Amino acid sequence: MKTIPLSYLPSALIAALAIGPIIVLAVLASESAQVFDPHNIRVMINTLTLMSLTALGATLIGVPLALFTAYVETPLRKTWLVLLTAPLAMPSYIGAFTLYAAFGPGGEIDNALGLSLPAVRGMPGAVMVMTLYTYPFVLLTTRSALRSLDASQVNAARTLGMSLPGCLFSVVLPRVTRGIAAGALLAALYALSDFGTPAIMQVDTFTRVIYVEYNAFGLSQAAMLSLQLLCIVALLVFIESRVTGTKEMPGRPLRLWPGRWQRAVMVSAFLPVLILAIMLPLSVFSLWLWREGSGNFELQYAFNSAYASLLAAAVAVLLAIPVAHAAIRSKSGRVMERITYLGFGVPGIVMGTALVYVGLQLPWLYQTLGLLVIAYVLRFLPLAVGAVRTASERLDPSLVSAARLLGARPAETFRRITLPLTVRGIVAGAALVFLEAMRELPATLMLGPTGFETLATYLWRVYEAGYFGHAAIPGLLLILMSVLILMLMLSGERRAEIELSDP
Amino acid sequence: MHRRSFIQGIAAASFLTATPWARAFQSDQRMALSVEQLPSLTGELTLYLGRGEGGLYEKVLDAIRDRNPDLDLRVRRGATAALANTLVAEARAGVRRADLFWAVDSGAIGLVTANGLAKSLPPELTSQLKAGFQYPQWAPVTGRIRTLPYNPQRIAASAIPDSIMALADSQLSIGWAPAYASFQSFVTAMRLLNGEQQTADWLSAMKARSTSYAGELGVVMAVERGEVDLGLANHYYSLRLKAGKPQANIELAFTKNDAGCLVNASGIVCLSENSTAVNFIRYLLTQEVQSYLASEAYEIPLVNGVSMPAGLPGLSSMSPPKLDLTQLADLRPTLDMMRDVGVL
Repeated sequence: MKTIPLSYLPSALIAALAIGPIIVLAVLASESAQVFDPHNIRVMINTLTLMSLTALGATLIGVPLALFTAYVETPLRKTWLVLLTAPLAMPSYIGAFTLYAAFGPGGEIDNALGLSLPAVRGMPGAVMVMTLYTYPFVLLTTRSALRSLDASQVNAARTLGMSLPGCLFSVVLPRVTRGIAAGALLAALYALSDFGTPAIMQVDTFTRVIYVEYNAFGLSQAAMLSLQLLCIVALLVFIESRVTGTKEMPGRPLRLWPGRWQRAVMVSAFLPVLILAIMLPLSVFSLWLWREGSGNFELQYAFNSAYASLLAAAVAVLLAIPVAHAAIRSKSGRVMERITYLGFGVPGIVMGTALVYVGLQLPWLYQTLGLLVIAYVLRFLPLAVGAVRTASERLDPSLVSAARLLGARPAETFRRITLPLTVRGIVAGAALVFLEAMRELPATLMLGPTGFETLATYLWRVYEAGYFGHAAIPGLLLILMSVLILMLMLSGERRAEIELSDP
Repeated sequence: MHRRSFIQGIAAASFLTATPWARAFQSDQRMALSVEQLPSLTGELTLYLGRGEGGLYEKVLDAIRDRNPDLDLRVRRGATAALANTLVAEARAGVRRADLFWAVDSGAIGLVTANGLAKSLPPELTSQLKAGFQYPQWAPVTGRIRTLPYNPQRIAASAIPDSIMALADSQLSIGWAPAYASFQSFVTAMRLLNGEQQTADWLSAMKARSTSYAGELGVVMAVERGEVDLGLANHYYSLRLKAGKPQANIELAFTKNDAGCLVNASGIVCLSENSTAVNFIRYLLTQEVQSYLASEAYEIPLVNGVSMPAGLPGLSSMSPPKLDLTQLADLRPTLDMMRDVGVL
């Protein structure tokens, strides 16, 4: 007789919760919306192009960086990892705007150095910016998959004469396709739902049509268009679920010790990414800070950001564990897991409004920090679920059975077998949710407690008003705080790894 | 530090206004009051503030807080449309959290008043506003005028027509932001003033020579960089750009008595029967707050006796069209037209 696993009840509840905002959208759309507008076909092609190229770009940058941060022994390894994931905390519209202002004739680089670079705009510009601010999705999900691979297969292939690049390509990467696909899916969904970047780069995408409707007080029409966007999301989520992975025993990960010049080559290869994604925006803002002076920034904003984002990361990870567990166990669990992804592809402002309707069903929670954390969790749960699932589906169930056979209780088995072996996925998931929550704007504005100001809302305020100099300090703090907190999270991962290798 | 100096400024302002006051008593027009003449505010007040405005609105709110230590003022910020939709959602659920809604454009006010959420304002409050800006259910706070920012390195002022309709027949290259709410309000005004057909023709003639930008700050920056000859934008973007960069290549031109020089307004709605909320609106219409917003945010004061922001001619020398601003909320036909012409 088959019993229903314990993880099903919580995952069914979470899936029901995640579908709440989508039902709100359907109700709003049914009020007075026009179902089909032929003008939108042209826009749809742009949207799909941007989405595919972003997923591709994020993979091309994210996978090599994942290999580097997972396997290469270099001084300051964790620092590099943290720095390379930090672009995820930067709102992409800020990046888009500074790249737009820096490049091109008459841009800030031209003004400062007399170096006339081509302008960053249009589809290539939008793809470049999107790639820079989404590759950490691929980096984190791929890295956590890479770290749980046993190195012995690579060692065997190397002994049999295969070159190292050949090994990485045909022995390592095929075993982490699920990790790569999970990250690429997130990058694609982000590209699908983002508004600021294509708007600044003057690319006409579906989200722009939705924003125009929303701002013209056509909430019903905006909801209808968001539901249409959801069809693409559903399709992507389905395709990604067809990517298959392998099951194998965990083991010690591969380690590579490059020579000094090899290290120099690697660092100089990925330095441009950091320069473009982090250094350039911060320098442009600093230039404007110097030109215009700073605003009335308060440190409390940074504290609020970190506090709410950390809470969201913790809750999201706790909820992600049963969902990921159910997804591995059966098909119906898989469906529940996939449902949590839908919300991630809906433009933030529409999702925020839907969450206002959901939140108003619980008036005692409305406009409290609790509701804001729930909103973050509903929006970013797929980030945690994806990371936890990729880490735990590689876990051989016979290990759990063995532990049970030797007399360990389920709780002990989880604590001593399952948890240590999936902790990398949990940390990666928490980091992703944390970083996304740090840069989240619409839900923070609409659902946070009245007067709750974060780094992202402050950045938005000064950006909207055109006081760009005021963005320098919060922009810098956003990166600094993210780096510090990621460091803390990763030191937790290191402790778990030690526990794993010590008998 | 900035905050301090503004608060001291509020104190000083009451002395400086001595001269306009003398004149005020001679005319029968109502002049802006001073904060000194207002009752102090007490109790709790929740304001939904539909705009970012890094710091300037903050300073106004802080100054009001400092004058009224017994006032517990809580502020929720957000995009204007998002807050308007939130208010509608709250009303549907029977929840009321906001006493006041200060919106960036009159369209949002239109949505809130159309849903029956606005409370009537006392006539002696609305009569403080300039003629054409007196509405029973909301109070315009500051105005912004549609302008033609141009790059003097590229074109001479004399090359710019003084009619917005004639701009379509010129040979100038133009920057505009069709997705931007202020632009859509302007097209709505043109529809109301010139009719559907002329507006559609104008849009399609303009389309051939126009480059689209995401927002009007982008338009103004493009004009300054020389990407286009001339732009269509609210006045304050150019003035703020010039304030940060005095040698900027940008000047302002105005059309005459048409949608091209429409004066639109930000405004505030009272959402609860609460005398503190009404008195809060009175504070926003004082001499001190209005002149602060004019000098620092370059917005157009809408009460009598406050001077215009530097860099703008007086409101009397401009000739904005006469329009009921709440009519500008009728955006649906505008969006349909802009889509059909292919500019959106």
